[in-house]
Amino acid sequence: MQRELSRVVDRAIIDTVPGFVWQAGPDGSVQFLNQRWCDYTGASLEESLGIGWTRRIHPDDAAPLGAYWQALLEAGQPGSFEARLRRHDGVYRWFLIRAVPLLDEAGQVVSWYGQNTDIEDRKQAELLLAGEKHLLGLIAGGAPLGQVLGALCGLVQSTLEGALCSVVLVDPRVGCGFGDALPSVRLQPGAAPDVPAELVGEADGRPLDADASPVACCALSGESVYCSDLAQEHRWPAWRQMARAHGLHASWSIPIACSRGKAAGVISLLFRTPRAAQPADHSVIAQFTHLASIAIERARSEAALRQSEAFAAKAQRLSQTGTFSWRVDSDEMAWSEEVYRILDIDPRQAPTLGLICCRVHPEDAPAHADVIRRQRSATSDFEHGYRLLLPGGKVKWVHLVAHATRDPQGAVEYIAALQDVTQRHHAEEALGKVRSELAHVARVASLGALTASIAHEVNQPLAGIITNANTCMRMLAADPPNLEGARETVRRTLRDGNRASDVIKRLRALFAKKEATIEQFDLNQAAREVIAMLLGELQRHNVILHPDFDDRLPPVRGDRVQLQQVILNLLLNAADAMSSISDRPRDMRITTTADGPERVRLAVSDSGIGFDPQDAERLFLAFHTTKSTGMGIGLSVSRAIIESHGGTLSGRLNEGHGATFAFSLPYLQIADATAAEAANHGRDATAGHAAENA
Amino acid sequence: MAQPLLVSVIDDDESVREALPDLLREFGFAVAAFSSAEAFLVSPELEQVRCLLLDIAMPGMSGPELLRELRRQGRQIPVIFITAHGEAADRPRLLQQGAVDCLFKPFSEADLIRALNAALPVS
Repeated sequence: MQRELSRVVDRAIIDTVPGFVWQAGPDGSVQFLNQRWCDYTGASLEESLGIGWTRRIHPDDAAPLGAYWQALLEAGQPGSFEARLRRHDGVYRWFLIRAVPLLDEAGQVVSWYGQNTDIEDRKQAELLLAGEKHLLGLIAGGAPLGQVLGALCGLVQSTLEGALCSVVLVDPRVGCGFGDALPSVRLQPGAAPDVPAELVGEADGRPLDADASPVACCALSGESVYCSDLAQEHRWPAWRQMARAHGLHASWSIPIACSRGKAAGVISLLFRTPRAAQPADHSVIAQFTHLASIAIERARSEAALRQSEAFAAKAQRLSQTGTFSWRVDSDEMAWSEEVYRILDIDPRQAPTLGLICCRVHPEDAPAHADVIRRQRSATSDFEHGYRLLLPGGKVKWVHLVAHATRDPQGAVEYIAALQDVTQRHHAEEALGKVRSELAHVARVASLGALTASIAHEVNQPLAGIITNANTCMRMLAADPPNLEGARETVRRTLRDGNRASDVIKRLRALFAKKEATIEQFDLNQAAREVIAMLLGELQRHNVILHPDFDDRLPPVRGDRVQLQQVILNLLLNAADAMSSISDRPRDMRITTTADGPERVRLAVSDSGIGFDPQDAERLFLAFHTTKSTGMGIGLSVSRAIIESHGGTLSGRLNEGHGATFAFSLPYLQIADATAAEAANHGRDATAGHAAENA
Repeated sequence: MAQPLLVSVIDDDESVREALPDLLREFGFAVAAFSSAEAFLVSPELEQVRCLLLDIAMPGMSGPELLRELRRQGRQIPVIFITAHGEAADRPRLLQQGAVDCLFKPFSEADLIRALNAALPVS
């Protein structure tokens, strides 16, 4: 009785031990299994004893386990093995099977005792971890997104028994994110290795309809959509019919969020049996969606980077602008593809400063070398224009803009853009010619207005010449001849002849057709010459001129004739504006002053009729005129001339009567790059940092 | 020997002020030259002058304005306009202002003599 009680107690203890406890004979045939085995497998004790238990081993594990067990039996050594055992509902779970031999005094195996421990959770975690490692490896290795997502689906399917996994992506170009409920959300295919194509039909780029499928519903709402039994579901009738036709009974759709909180895609799981998601399922699904979001974001940022690089390369090609960096201490350089193209250098060559220098046009090389030398120590932004002489004799104009940076250690590096401006140079040259022609046309047009003035300027000395000649004749004919008087009249005749000749020279200088020429000159003197030519005209119109020149002005640089044309135009306009004035003096002021530290200003002020304030800007439009005569090109051409000299021309009404038109010119800057290049064989200025210019 | 007649030249242009008086002296006139109408009006010659060679366009008072001022003062001095502006077609308009003749620069000696004869018939 006592013994029977002890057996019952032992049995109760054994049955409460977690896992399965078993005992086998020396030959390995199982003689005992605890109740938990029977509960788990649903098999009776009788059918499990002997080798009956092997029928519960996963087919893939049966052979290796059998071989291992045989080896243990022969060696009489303890051991352990991991294998899947089938549960009563057909589900396999991983177990760690441990076996320990009981030996007699002679060392012979008397019996085997063992315990099987459920390690399903650990095994799943290990599998998941290995799967994740594999996936992250694919992502890091830059595998195509489709491949990564395909592997993810495989991992999901191996982790969640019986699941059919697919991934769709939200089109980042139109999808604004979950919850926007915008009908414009569209999906793109991700991966669906084992899911029937018709069930992932939304991934065709059409706008989504939440009633079409659980995936669409999930993508639009941003919420997980779990349907544990499609038979109980009323939504998505058409899709459900297809799913049921494929023998599918449960559907889980889970959104994949990306780091910016926006939608990246949806993971869909389909099952052949009704299935509700358990907490453990939610946990692994969270890991899968996280992995998916990493893969999608990485792929998209790489695509964006590739696109941006492609855009940059295309932009450099189109704008003919290359970029390069130059470390001053080591002379290390990095060039973009376009720099190689501009310099006509094989892209396989390592970029060096020497390579650039050997392409610089020999005539520009000294200036270029100066810039490099200066910038080595200056550490300032700089600009430089120069020519390249390429193999085969082709000449290119380039413009370099460089920005100086310092790394944390203080080393200087320039980031520079090198632009091929050859076409622009040619265009500007052509434009300069056209501008010059137009300026000439405008000058000739103003010649008519000057006829009376020119006649006056010539007639005055001619009157002197003829009168002196008559006097001279009389003095020589006298008896005795008045030689002294005759000599004096001849001297005056010569003087007046030269005066007339000067008038003609000035006219020719102003009205002859010639190329734009850049020179340094005194603006006051240029203005005085124009006034000299206009005096008669002004006098004829009873204009009282008040010149007020600042004689301390530095010289300006530019096209003297073109600027004289502007002055002439302003003076003639001022005279015209006063032609109808009779109730006040016709006062005209011409003044030159310094305009800040870098500019000079010339203003012409009149007491005339002024202009309509609404016309202030239209005055400068070509063919806009307020006069009954004139073509209306004077002010437009004048402004074009001044602007080509880097200056400004504007007009304003005076407080009392009349108006003031004034231009302002920089006097240290090259006046007209176009004209300068044309005149000076394209040798551009070397413009340093603004501070150096000041 | 009779006292030479006094003729005045009023012109802002120096060439004319130098050349014309010398030629007039060759003709036998006494000459005084002025660079402006205002200078002439305050000069002692105003009382003795027998003929004026007067430039039309001058800074300040113009030739026609001086002519009107002389007539206003009751002085009937004959005036010959000289001008570097305009042409023969302008003559009638200028003569209407009361001048005896009008010479357009550059003018010939013959034109000058004809004008002087018209201004000073007794000489």
